[in-house]
Amino acid sequence: MTIDFGAVLPYLPVMLKALGISIEVTVLSFFIGSVLGIFVYLGRRSGLAPLRWLAHGFIEVFRNTPLLVQLYLIYFGLPEVGINLNPFWSTLAGMTLNNAAYTAEIFRAGIESVPNGLVEAAGALGMRFSQTFRFIVLKPAIRNVLPALTNQFIVLFLFSSVGSVISLNELTSALADLNQRTLRTLEIFTIGGILYYLTSAVIAGSSRLAERYLFRW
Amino acid sequence: MSTPAMILAQDIHKRFGDLEVLKGIDAEVDEREVVCLIGPSGSGKSTLLRCMNALEKFQKGHITICGHDLTGSKTNVNEVRRDVGMVFQSFNVFPHMLVLDNLMLAPMKVLKVSKAEARERAMALLEKVGLVDKAKVYPTKLSGGQQQRVAIARALAMQPKVMLFDEPTSALDPETVGEVLEVMKALAEEGMTMMVVTHEMGFAREVADRVLFMDNGVVVEQGPPREIFDNPQHDRTRAFLSKIL
Amino acid sequence: MVTPLLSFDFGQFMPPLLRGAGVTVGLVLASGIAGTIIGVVFGIGRSAPLAPVRWLASIYTNFIRGIPILIILLFLYYEIPLLFPYATFSQTITAMIGLSVYAGAYMAEIFRGSIQAIPRGQLEAGEALGLNYLQKMRYVVLPQALKIAVPPGIGFLIALVKASSLVSVIAATDLTRAGRIITSQNHAPLATFLVVAALYFVISYPLSLLGRWYERRLA
Repeated sequence: MTIDFGAVLPYLPVMLKALGISIEVTVLSFFIGSVLGIFVYLGRRSGLAPLRWLAHGFIEVFRNTPLLVQLYLIYFGLPEVGINLNPFWSTLAGMTLNNAAYTAEIFRAGIESVPNGLVEAAGALGMRFSQTFRFIVLKPAIRNVLPALTNQFIVLFLFSSVGSVISLNELTSALADLNQRTLRTLEIFTIGGILYYLTSAVIAGSSRLAERYLFRW
Repeated sequence: MSTPAMILAQDIHKRFGDLEVLKGIDAEVDEREVVCLIGPSGSGKSTLLRCMNALEKFQKGHITICGHDLTGSKTNVNEVRRDVGMVFQSFNVFPHMLVLDNLMLAPMKVLKVSKAEARERAMALLEKVGLVDKAKVYPTKLSGGQQQRVAIARALAMQPKVMLFDEPTSALDPETVGEVLEVMKALAEEGMTMMVVTHEMGFAREVADRVLFMDNGVVVEQGPPREIFDNPQHDRTRAFLSKIL
Repeated sequence: MVTPLLSFDFGQFMPPLLRGAGVTVGLVLASGIAGTIIGVVFGIGRSAPLAPVRWLASIYTNFIRGIPILIILLFLYYEIPLLFPYATFSQTITAMIGLSVYAGAYMAEIFRGSIQAIPRGQLEAGEALGLNYLQKMRYVVLPQALKIAVPPGIGFLIALVKASSLVSVIAATDLTRAGRIITSQNHAPLATFLVVAALYFVISYPLSLLGRWYERRLA
């Protein structure tokens, strides 16, 4: 069979629609997971030891086990205890928890990277802790974490492909399906790969633009 | 004689773990007085200075500063710090704010001064430290000496009664040391009460009313700069001065 | 939660799970080593004096890092039989190739960063001593870059352990696939995958500790 990209072009709309689902589940899990990540980070810094252990354990468990196994547990395992989630919600739940564990560590690193001298200087000017955090720590911390957060967003997007294994109809699932139908493996996966790559590149590019616009110091 | 001392420290003891860095310090700074703390590194001078506005806690002794008792557990640290300006060795200007905003932030947020007044104060102070043209610049674009002048102006914007300087020129390139010392000298001439930890012996000799020589956590001797520099009484002072001058 | 866990027959199912874990460890080791070699070559390629070499290295590292590992594995799984119709390829080999290509791109990026982190003065000093390009790389740049690359390299190895679970999708019998096969027999996915997750944790967590220890030693 000769290489013929023209033969698979009619399927582009199907791929784009599936890409939409990949993006949807990524964006949702990123935002919900990042908010959850803030709480996990606060848990790690809590004065209550049990809360610290819980947050620490959560981070270590999700960082040291594969997303695929987590999705199997949610999709195949939870029904045993009466929790039934469809492929979309299962993928969303798994990715959200995963993202929370990673962003919690990113936030910690970002806040710790703000020089202690700035915090001292704010204290020496009579600023309260909450004022110091809001006016002095927050912006430099966001600047410090933005590259890592962007990276995490891209990794999360790429791993949304794992949802295909529990039959979420996102891009990878659509590609496997089209591959079976057309048997044009090279063409299908090349176009699919380019779609993934372009989306990642757009995410990385917009983050760099935002950085230049937001942080002018 | 009648005015109480601006800073009065009595028998200050401070330890970091097993290491005792201050071993019973007595020090006094009167109103409008400039006191320089000199001594080898590790002698405890910076730690003593940082105790003065509660950046460091001490285990034993008493400090009163601008009428606030730092020893009392009810002392509101933030209230003390409104009256006490501090300048750090590493400037610690806020990198994400324009120079002007660096000067306006604390007066607005801590003293609740209006924006217009904060701006007016800030511009006047920038004029004083010779940086009016840098008001709308990010501090990262400035030289070390300029950043330190911004830091001094930022502390002055709170209209403090006392200024503490923690080795303000130690992190500077030699050619920018002078401009910072000039600003400090002008401040002293206006009558600001100042406590300065420094290695600039020329500045101490010229500007200080009194010099405290510290070594190994104690004040070895103190007196007018002329006496300390030209006629030191203790061997440790002599040894230190012979190395540094 | 307790009942399904108790119902898991460790005596019957641990041996196949441990065999699967062995395959996972083997795959990660093999592709980790291959990926490091690819990574060093392409990492140096990113700073090569020849522009086309730089472009090639850059396209490989950036494209692979912009697509999911699952796409790489599925592509190889379907494409290799089309390219070599008469060869019989074990799925484990396909999995290893896919993971190596994947690891190579990330390792190359890590090495590129490490090479960049070396102060320019080091290169200038090498030049001033009259070392040529290869000598500079061999004696000045690489030894320092490798040291800098260890913590992020270990970090990626952890990611590789987890990514390797996806080889189960292309029928390689790793830990995850062993778990799937067992659930088709015991119909206890919750207990089975909890044990699978625990085994992954046992493989991955020591790497996390190692990375943290090394970083503390560097600091």
